[in-house]
Amino acid sequence: MKKTKRRFERYPGVECIIHSLGADEKIAQRLAQMGVLPGATLQIIRLAPFGTTVEVSVDSGQSFAIRDEYLTALKCQILAMPLTYPDVRLHTTYRIRTLFGGRKFQQRMETQGIHPGLFIKIVNLTKPRVILQLIEHEKTVKLGRGEAEKIIIEVTNA
Amino acid sequence: MPERAEKVVVALSSIPNTGKTTLFNRLTGSSQTTGNWPGVSVEKKVGRFTLGEFEISLVDLPGAYALSPVTEEENIVRTYFLKTPPAVILNIIDASNLYRSLGLTLQMCTSGLPMVVAVNMIDKTTQLDIPLLSTHLGVPVIPISARSGQGVPDLQQALYEVIKEPERTHIPHISCPPVLEEAAKELSRKIIPGGALEKMDSNFLAMRLLEEKTFADSIQKTGLAAVINQWRDRVEKTTGEQIPITCAKCRFNAARGLILETTRKQSAPPDERSKCIDNILLHRWFSLPLFLLIMFLLFQAVYGLGAPLQDLIGQGFDAAEAWLRVQPFISRQSDWLQSFLFDGLWQGLGVVTSFFPIVALFFIFMSLIEDSGYMARAAFLMDHLMHRLGLDGKAFINLLLGYGCNVPAIMGTRILSSHHNRIITILLIPFTLCIARLQVFVFLTTILFSPVIAPFILFSLYLSSFIVIVLTGFFLKVLRIAGKPEPFIMEIPPYRMPTISGVALKTRQELKDFLYRAAPLIIAGVIVVWFLTHFPADVPAAGAETWAGRLGHLFSPLFNPLGIHWQETVALLFGLIAKEIVVGAMAVIYGGGDLSNQVFQHISPLQGLSFMVFTLFYTPCVATIAAIKAESGSWKITLFSLILGLVIAWLASLVLYQTGLALGLR
Ligand SMILES: Nc1nc2c(ncn2[C@@H]2O[C@H](COP(=O)(O)OP(=O)(O)OP(=O)(O)O)[C@@H](O)[C@H]2O)c(=O)[nH]1
Ligand SMILES: [Mg+2]
Repeated sequence: MKKTKRRFERYPGVECIIHSLGADEKIAQRLAQMGVLPGATLQIIRLAPFGTTVEVSVDSGQSFAIRDEYLTALKCQILAMPLTYPDVRLHTTYRIRTLFGGRKFQQRMETQGIHPGLFIKIVNLTKPRVILQLIEHEKTVKLGRGEAEKIIIEVTNA
Repeated sequence: MPERAEKVVVALSSIPNTGKTTLFNRLTGSSQTTGNWPGVSVEKKVGRFTLGEFEISLVDLPGAYALSPVTEEENIVRTYFLKTPPAVILNIIDASNLYRSLGLTLQMCTSGLPMVVAVNMIDKTTQLDIPLLSTHLGVPVIPISARSGQGVPDLQQALYEVIKEPERTHIPHISCPPVLEEAAKELSRKIIPGGALEKMDSNFLAMRLLEEKTFADSIQKTGLAAVINQWRDRVEKTTGEQIPITCAKCRFNAARGLILETTRKQSAPPDERSKCIDNILLHRWFSLPLFLLIMFLLFQAVYGLGAPLQDLIGQGFDAAEAWLRVQPFISRQSDWLQSFLFDGLWQGLGVVTSFFPIVALFFIFMSLIEDSGYMARAAFLMDHLMHRLGLDGKAFINLLLGYGCNVPAIMGTRILSSHHNRIITILLIPFTLCIARLQVFVFLTTILFSPVIAPFILFSLYLSSFIVIVLTGFFLKVLRIAGKPEPFIMEIPPYRMPTISGVALKTRQELKDFLYRAAPLIIAGVIVVWFLTHFPADVPAAGAETWAGRLGHLFSPLFNPLGIHWQETVALLFGLIAKEIVVGAMAVIYGGGDLSNQVFQHISPLQGLSFMVFTLFYTPCVATIAAIKAESGSWKITLFSLILGLVIAWLASLVLYQTGLALGLR
């Protein structure tokens, strides 16, 4: 499915798979020589305070600081995104991929029945609350925006 | 083979942050010399040690990701390998992340040069099949921990054997798309490597020719250029991407295969400790306050501790001078010789020595920040601000520390990631308001302005320093004085504990550098100023009749529009020795008496302000000039910095003074 180009690099937690390294020769060459090649998975870790610099990690275990314009130039396919990502739709089934936070956050989510692998539907996305329907548990959970940002979901084929 | 100690060059090469410098220090101990690579201000380190009958020169090359260069550092490495190939390559692999390092290792292996691979940081993993790795790479592979020294004797033994028996058993083959292999095979038949390149594998050379447009010019024989271009086009058309990227793909595919075969456990566990620390230090809201706090502590640690030490040294020098002056063998000498000894030479020595504490403290604390891994985080946090000036985040720290003292800040630009950034930062640092200048400003503002206004004056001086740095940064960016900025893609290393020996070695090295490279220039500068202010011999020192006084008069048409009298011009000249001297010099020039009164009578507040603005922006002192020369390695940059400072100082003072006059101020 083709979607309009989102500035995916502005959403910590987004994971994507690189399809091509972009048009800028120098940057493409730099990334390639560092071992960041088409087929690698990137995850956006965090944005610097002023926003134009991004920390990303690659599946080979390295972590980079990189300017967001370079990321925009990459051709990527989004694999996973936080609940608050603009492309996330209401009433569509997603699977929780990871909980993108510290141990405390993971425990808190666990007590509410939220854990990786779970199928969910989103009932409400309007601020300030995000309401999730946990499909298997047949219940709904209310989350704060801050929590929703750290729940990384992926599209399911089902 | 000859009987006597034979000299052998071994080049240490790896991607950044694999423990190259740590291993270098371990192998060579303290027998190191540093300098700049020809033409660029990138550190060149050479160290010596003996291995049996061989005397080894170990060259610490800058970190590079591949042989086809993207950065200045990589350009140096590439040129070094192709122009003056070492007898043996010592390559380092990071055991905690094999994938990172193997790309370069594989490329180096195919060169056919004798090579030894050290798998460093073996303390972090043990799940490696070293013999198998060695078989695949076709070179000896030795697990070591550069930090603890474990495995280093084995490494030395392996090096020794390779030097004795340099023949390579086999060269690994990296499979590439057929069209690329065909191109390489075709070209390798055509090139007849001569000179330095003779030892290298022809397939490797063919690859170099294909990957790199600039390299082709340096070795191609007649008629080859057209063939290379043809193949290059054909390969790029077939694969649909640039050749260096295709090659990187091949190497990293091979690397992946190697890792699968040689590691028993799948990929190293992610570094939880670094993640936890980053969750705090790079936290969305806390990161900046924490950064500022760390910078504040750094500043205090360097200058808060350094300033009293400097004072102590200054007092020591004064006491020694007083004692020496009355010694018969000196007081017997002629007046001018005494003056030369004390006001010239001794003063120069005093200036040099006074820098020791802050240079030492500066590098102790900078190494701590650098080695711990926080420097990369700081660069990440500040990148956005500095990006506007064409710099990256690390430069922020250097500029900030310039507000203490320009000299160590300029020497510290060595940590910056590119030649471009180093030069720009070196040119910007002299506009920071250092503590020495602050002393002059505090003195003058308290005399010339009421206590209510004085703090505002100081504040606006700081503000104008910021503004000038930003404007000059833009100006230099537009001017492209140091070439193009390099793409900012920086690996963020895991946090590591700095080692005492590492910090100590670094600090010692920097002090030695300062002593050898900057100190002679500083002393020479001080003596020149002494000469100008004390000659001709028969006139009163610093008076109107000295060369300095005459220069002051000569330049008065230039300085009058700024409201600066010839006396203050002479004081500015004195200020080149060290800013602290300006005040003392004024006392001498105005002919003694109560200095506050003299200043008050001679200088109006507006003139004083203009004088301060000029002092803020013109070249800080001979020590800074010496540091710029030592770091940039270029008289052109040094001269440019001098002129830039003078022009900006003149313009700023002119605008200020004339506007002030027009507004009816005095
Ligand atoms: N745990 C561990 N850490 C090491 C070892 N060797 C080096 N380090 C650490 O790795 C970091 C990088 O070491 P350097 O020697 O500066 O690496 P380098 O390759 O010279 O880095 P660049 O000059 O930036 O390319 C330092 O913090 C060292 O303390 C080792 O054997 N084990
Ligand atoms: Mg190093």
